[in-house]
Amino acid sequence: MDTVSSRTREAPLVMLLLTLVPSIAVAVRVADALWLAAGAVLVMTGSSVARAILDGARPAGTPETGTPAADGPGEEDRTARWLRALVISSLLTAAFEAGLLAVAPAASAALGIYAPLLAVNLLVAGKGGPDPSGASPLRATLSSLRNGAWFAGGLVAIALAREVLGAGTITLFPVSGFGGTITLSPLLDQPVRALGFAGGGLLCLGYLVAAVRAVLARKGSAAPRAEASR
Amino acid sequence: MSWAAVVFTFALVDNVILSRLLGLETGDGARGGTRSVWLGGSIAVLMSVSAVAAWTLDSLLLVPLGLTMLRTPLLVFVVAGIALGFQALAARFLPAVLERSGVSIPRVGVNCVVLGLVLITTRAEYGALQSFLAGLAAGAGYLLASAMMGAIRERLEIEAVPPVLRGVPLQLITAGLMAYAFMAFDRGFLARLLGA
Repeated sequence: MDTVSSRTREAPLVMLLLTLVPSIAVAVRVADALWLAAGAVLVMTGSSVARAILDGARPAGTPETGTPAADGPGEEDRTARWLRALVISSLLTAAFEAGLLAVAPAASAALGIYAPLLAVNLLVAGKGGPDPSGASPLRATLSSLRNGAWFAGGLVAIALAREVLGAGTITLFPVSGFGGTITLSPLLDQPVRALGFAGGGLLCLGYLVAAVRAVLARKGSAAPRAEASR
Repeated sequence: MSWAAVVFTFALVDNVILSRLLGLETGDGARGGTRSVWLGGSIAVLMSVSAVAAWTLDSLLLVPLGLTMLRTPLLVFVVAGIALGFQALAARFLPAVLERSGVSIPRVGVNCVVLGLVLITTRAEYGALQSFLAGLAAGAGYLLASAMMGAIRERLEIEAVPPVLRGVPLQLITAGLMAYAFMAFDRGFLARLLGA
């Protein structure tokens, strides 16, 4: 079985979850995962909206680089689109990095190289969000927010499982009267420390993808049964 | 860090796939076979050249001028530019090899593994030669992990596995278990190996 062919048969949601792989390296504490998820939503949405606006600025059917639009995007057009997505995505990531460093320097240090990696990771996730060609900025925003929510939900779910089982704590943000950390006594005494390592993140993601697949398969098989019963 | 330590660190101890979790997001990391060799080779060359270019940019421009906030976009452009340049060169001089390998160099360029390695070497303030060696060693580590995962995947295909676990989930679980196995290559292993 070839990896690529198996990937193309996968549901888009499973593909989106697969792009979590680099980010789960630092998804060991819920608070760090929340920061990274916020960055991913920002970059994904901002990139998609910017590209939708730039696409809207060109008259319909106008080729970007002299390739007839009727013949579909040519190699030059695809490269130009790819470079444009790269520029927008990396600038938004740099803005997120600068903001994070100013607001939460400890979180910035904890995320390390994985915050700047959002620039290319989200391109893999779907070229900086769903391809907004032909979509209005509002539609592109909603679509990116939905994808960003799945990305963020997956990341936080993995971080929660790893932190609860691997350390017996849930680390959030300190507010007045609350130190920011919830301790879970039985797990604090005997944590599954292996989940805190890189391998633990991959195991959690593997089982999460399998669970999502099972739910999607059940939904898929339920739909024909509902049709037949009518 | 000595050159030998750089090589062993990036090939085994700090393996880009199994320790840093870079390069799996595209699904290419678990390939195995001839294409895996081409992919690993392309990544090694891209990482080495990109790491040296990034060192040049960082040490001669960004740090002296205090422009380190622009590091991410500029490094992304450098890596993408080098990847496009390699693609153009390969298409000009080695078109048959490029077609046979099935490797898209620009796609490899925006893989997290190349930018990740470049970010690691610039943040650790490695020199030019150390960065070059780190790129080559990380490419070798990528190839090693990728080939092992590919071999395990082939064996698992003939096993009775629940359908929901087949494919991507099983590749991730395999990678997770291999990551635990690679934890045997730790700093202590490196110290014993190099007699430090």
